Amino acid sequence: MAQPIFAFRDVSVRFGATPILDKVGFDVAPEEFLCLVGPSGCGKTTLLRVAAGLIRPQEGRAEFEGRAVAEPTPELAIVFQDYSRALLPWRTVAGNVELALEARGAPRAGRAAEVKRLLGIIGLADHAQKFPLQLSGGMQQRVQIARALAQRPRILLMDEPFGSLDAMTRQALQDEIARLCKAERQTVVFVTHDLEEAIYLGDRVVALEANPGRVVEIVEIALPRPRDQLTTREHPRFLEYRHRLFGHLAKKEAE
Amino acid sequence: MTLRRLLLGLVFPVALLAAWEVSVRAGLLSEDVFSRISRIVPALLEGLADGTIVARTYETLAAALFGWAIAAAIGIPLGLVLGLVRPLERLTLVTIEALRPVPSAALIPIVLLIFGFSLELDATVAAFACLWPVLIVTTGAVRGIEPRLLEVGRALGYGALARIWHFALPAALPGIAVGLRVAFGIAIVVAVTVEIAANPRGLGYAMITAQQSLRAEVMYAYLFWIGLVGWLINVAMIRAERHWLRWYWAARGAA
Repeated sequence: MAQPIFAFRDVSVRFGATPILDKVGFDVAPEEFLCLVGPSGCGKTTLLRVAAGLIRPQEGRAEFEGRAVAEPTPELAIVFQDYSRALLPWRTVAGNVELALEARGAPRAGRAAEVKRLLGIIGLADHAQKFPLQLSGGMQQRVQIARALAQRPRILLMDEPFGSLDAMTRQALQDEIARLCKAERQTVVFVTHDLEEAIYLGDRVVALEANPGRVVEIVEIALPRPRDQLTTREHPRFLEYRHRLFGHLAKKEAE
Repeated sequence: MTLRRLLLGLVFPVALLAAWEVSVRAGLLSEDVFSRISRIVPALLEGLADGTIVARTYETLAAALFGWAIAAAIGIPLGLVLGLVRPLERLTLVTIEALRPVPSAALIPIVLLIFGFSLELDATVAAFACLWPVLIVTTGAVRGIEPRLLEVGRALGYGALARIWHFALPAALPGIAVGLRVAFGIAIVVAVTVEIAANPRGLGYAMITAQQSLRAEVMYAYLFWIGLVGWLINVAMIRAERHWLRWYWAARGAA
């Protein structure tokens, strides 16, 4: 594996006396699309918040290019699941995206063009002047993704970004994000509880078990790209991965 | 508002005024105490024409506006801080709750010693009365902010002060606007009260002068005028809210 761009080193998190994560450690390679899957309560969201520098683990650390992540940095952008709460309702779509440009101190002159470019990429060119609450859920999540991309992050952290969208919208966004991230050679850490989504999107899938959260298995996904909602999901290896990983999720959910 | 609704709304007040006129003319009510509409309206028009009402209105409104602005300048920042820093709110709670029930009129003798008969007398007492609604509403509005929004601010790399300016303040603004509107109504009421009780200026003093010179129709003319001015200001402030907080109303389907 290439020199990792990011790593978790024996990360342990407790909330009070309750252990949430127990010595979680793995690397993320540059340009990799890494999916993190696990049952509810396995601490996958907590792990992503550690990666973003939003919480500090009691033990271990998250490392970006060998340096510990102690607080949020523009190089790591996070996309939250609850898009309706993560967007500023008083700013237009363009204004929300521009927020990230302001944060990283982009020169004022170039901002409008950059916002326009990002909204074009993410399919929101016609909605720039609308307010977020006037858009559908899928559109709102696109705004949040555009804002994250405006940070020009080295790593895109996504926390169940498509979890509360309907099936059709979810599939459309899966394909777009996969295409976009591969085209832009974007490194991604993608958290989901949906095993098929993890296999469909990932170059590797890290499976966590719950109570406390631990890494149980890391699987390389050797499925050809670009992936396709029909053929990829019917691919023999897709089913093989699904069988292999399913046990880890089902076992814990059943307890 | 449709014409029909406006006309319906006028039925009751017009009937009341007609009953008033008839009762006085029939000798059921004393004309010295109650005057009558057919004398009040000409008195009002005369006062407006010769500029006395306008001059008195300016005195009262300038003082009310001044006091209201002071209350806003103290109440909004203080409310933001108290709403964001929970321990500070607990620390100041007793002080605030002890000061709040003090009748604003009780300040008149003290403030009179400091400023004498002046605009500042009206304004200071009005500021005291206005401070509480602004402070309490702002604190509550800030406490009700979606935590995710502030976290987005952190994740984007905004510092504490920038988070207040870009996230907390706009998010709390719909609540603060209501507090400011209520407070301005209070400012006018208190300014007029101070003028009636002590300060020889403005609309309140004009009313008391008319009463003492046994000109009941002029007294009522001022009373109606104060009501009209208060109503117009309230309407203007609602309009301003709807304009400046378009995003808030747009999301609620009422433009």
